[in-house]
Amino acid sequence: MEIKTTTKDGATIIQLSGSLDGNTVNEAQEKILPFLSSDKISLVLDLKECSYISSAGLRLLLMAAKQLSTQNGILALSGLSAEIKDVMEMTGFNNFFKSFESVAAALEAFKKEA
Amino acid sequence: MYRVDLHPTHVCDCGKFRLRMGKPLPFGATIVPGGVNFSVYSHAATSCKLALFNKHEPKPFCVIPFKDEFRIGNVFTMVVFDLDHENLEYGFYMDGPFDAREGHRFDKTKVLMDPYAKVIGGRDVWGKTPNWDDMYQHRARICFDDFDWENDHPLETPIEDLIIYEMHVRGFTQHSSSGVKHPGTFSGIREKIAYLKELGVNCVELMPIHEFDEFENSRTSPTTGKMLMNYWGYSNVGFFAPKAGYAATGKFGMQVDECKTLIRELHKNGIEVILDVVFNHTAEGNERGPYISYRGIDNKTYYLLTPDGYYFNFSGCGNTLNCNNPIVRNMILDCLRYWAADYHVDGFRFDLASILGRDQNGAPMHSPPLLETLAFDPILGKCKLIAEAWDAGGLYQVGCFPAWGRWAEWNGKYRDDLRKFLKGDAGMVGCMAQRLQGSPDLYQGQMRGACASVNFITAHDGFTLKDMVSFNDKHNEANGENSSDGCNDNYSWNCGHEGETDDPRINRLRIKQMKNAVAMLLTSQGTPMILSGDEMANTQFGNNNAYCQDNEISWIDWGLLGKNRELFDFFSKMIAFRRAHPVLRSRTHFQNRDYTGSGFADISWHGTQAWNADWSAQARTLAFMLCGGHAKGGTVKDNTIYVAMNMHWEMRGFELPKLHDWMSWHVSVNTDAVSPQDIWEVGKEVKLKNQSEFLVGPRSVVILVGKGKR
Repeated sequence: MEIKTTTKDGATIIQLSGSLDGNTVNEAQEKILPFLSSDKISLVLDLKECSYISSAGLRLLLMAAKQLSTQNGILALSGLSAEIKDVMEMTGFNNFFKSFESVAAALEAFKKEA
Repeated sequence: MYRVDLHPTHVCDCGKFRLRMGKPLPFGATIVPGGVNFSVYSHAATSCKLALFNKHEPKPFCVIPFKDEFRIGNVFTMVVFDLDHENLEYGFYMDGPFDAREGHRFDKTKVLMDPYAKVIGGRDVWGKTPNWDDMYQHRARICFDDFDWENDHPLETPIEDLIIYEMHVRGFTQHSSSGVKHPGTFSGIREKIAYLKELGVNCVELMPIHEFDEFENSRTSPTTGKMLMNYWGYSNVGFFAPKAGYAATGKFGMQVDECKTLIRELHKNGIEVILDVVFNHTAEGNERGPYISYRGIDNKTYYLLTPDGYYFNFSGCGNTLNCNNPIVRNMILDCLRYWAADYHVDGFRFDLASILGRDQNGAPMHSPPLLETLAFDPILGKCKLIAEAWDAGGLYQVGCFPAWGRWAEWNGKYRDDLRKFLKGDAGMVGCMAQRLQGSPDLYQGQMRGACASVNFITAHDGFTLKDMVSFNDKHNEANGENSSDGCNDNYSWNCGHEGETDDPRINRLRIKQMKNAVAMLLTSQGTPMILSGDEMANTQFGNNNAYCQDNEISWIDWGLLGKNRELFDFFSKMIAFRRAHPVLRSRTHFQNRDYTGSGFADISWHGTQAWNADWSAQARTLAFMLCGGHAKGGTVKDNTIYVAMNMHWEMRGFELPKLHDWMSWHVSVNTDAVSPQDIWEVGKEVKLKNQSEFLVGPRSVVILVGKGKR
């Protein structure tokens, strides 16, 4: 799995490419965790290049969202494939996330909330 | 704070994995910091090995013997560190004696599924042909049990207020007409929640959702050429795992989350979930059956065996689970606690529950420890416990199931008596009086109350409601058993023609008979249960035992909803009527007297003459009045309700009981009238011009509401 981190408009964008599953979830967690410890972080997880998210992967995303919400931060997901969206819907994970078509749309939403 | 007991102490022989002694409880596979704790019981095994597989791989990538020092008593336990547990499947090799006469059938070459497996792979997508060469067919996996319930809690609806809707997960939405995105799955049901709310039911009872093998006894139908499968699923592979093939996400191994999401969303909409659980036997069959788990782990513990070591067959399915063995009893308790606590399930219906009351020799017990344990268990304390109070070994306990005030029963006598009365049999009026009151003849002696009776006219087993009014005889040819299967005592009447007909008079009568049935069901004391699809006149084409029909025979045809909207409207309004009137939902039995000073007894019986019911052998008419002043023991106010049933083929005038001066009769239901005059919405009932008599049409039910202000 390839993980790239950038910042734009005061938000942190983490792009995850490949399959987020039991093999890669620990690596992804290590990259994401440092951003969860600060207050009021705006984080976009860009999943446009993410081909699959397993049960363990979904749990990582949920853990990040819960952690950020306790610190007044925001987490948005962007670029989810139709299949991943569908799986999240069926397994009840979609309730916990704001999801956008693109990183730009997520950043726009952050601005409105600010 | 760091624990000192989480570091590895051993390395497995191949050097790949670090180990330490595990904890014996809980049984099964449990994620612990850094690894997975495995624990399995066997009384007679001499040794045990853990086999680890990558998902779907035919051969294990590692086999780790439980070291002697890793066994505590009769439990093998160890922690294996550094596993990718999402991609893992595991099983056990057990060695021990093979001595069938002594009850031992160990075979150290077989990979055995964990009896406590919480996720089971191998049948991930319904109907996908398995690899029969695979030595490990039903494969235990590790479960993520950290679902986010969003403050959900079991609803704890009083049982007398439930309207149960029995459904098959696949059959409910598999038909192409269902219009859902994921047919035949937990998600498919979720897409139909709005429909369930429109109908008004507040509880779904799911036919078995524990992992089973739809390919068990699969064969080709000699008449239709279609594949016959184990469609109903009354044959457990594992008790702790949801059926993967019922989840659209089963192919990703996410069936646990999908099932829990369905339950959470049903709860959000005020709908409880009862599971139909099958603890009477397993899918391992008799001595010719496969090794899946129990037979190879500890045959003598898990099964009731004859003195010669053969399997007792009280289930009719080859073997009988040894329910009152202390180990098996604990497994059943652990299982139910798990579904109640981890899945927020609201109750259980126990298939062939009388087997749960047999001792280790198969004899019925006076106070079966398992049933008593379940009745008093703290975690199950608010769960509904419903028994199918008979078994295939001839034990029939309707009315005398050991209950401790906790167990309700599927009331088979209700079904039979109501069907006989409905089709116009004479001599049924006395029985009907019992059934309409929540069968005090069966349940009052033990002070179990009216809610001990789960009333139903149809269930998965037998005719659908439409078929009950369309067929005199079963038509099970497609099952390939020369119609020797399925019940012969259907008490059904085809209304003048066997099967489908264009005759409008017959079709009109059939609709009326279906309305009569549901009107009686929903004005009876006790807990009503409806078979899904009956509200739209779903047919199984006369098949009264569609256990093997994974096709249009069993699947609900949603196209019928448009065609039979009149019936659906009647069902939904009748359900709303029941929910609006607490006088219909008494927890206790009636006292047949006025104990609130309302001027009328809680229940009174009438006929064509008020206050004078005809109890004679030829009678086919009966009416009863429920006094609103006695609703819920007089603790809540309600209207007075009068129900007149004329099952004679000719019209009858019913003299109406005179109400207090400030009250008057309003018509709520008249099944003889054509829609929309057949049923009125609650609060919009039409005041009768003639307050002293009502002409009840042939084979019709009339419901009146007595109301008015003093």
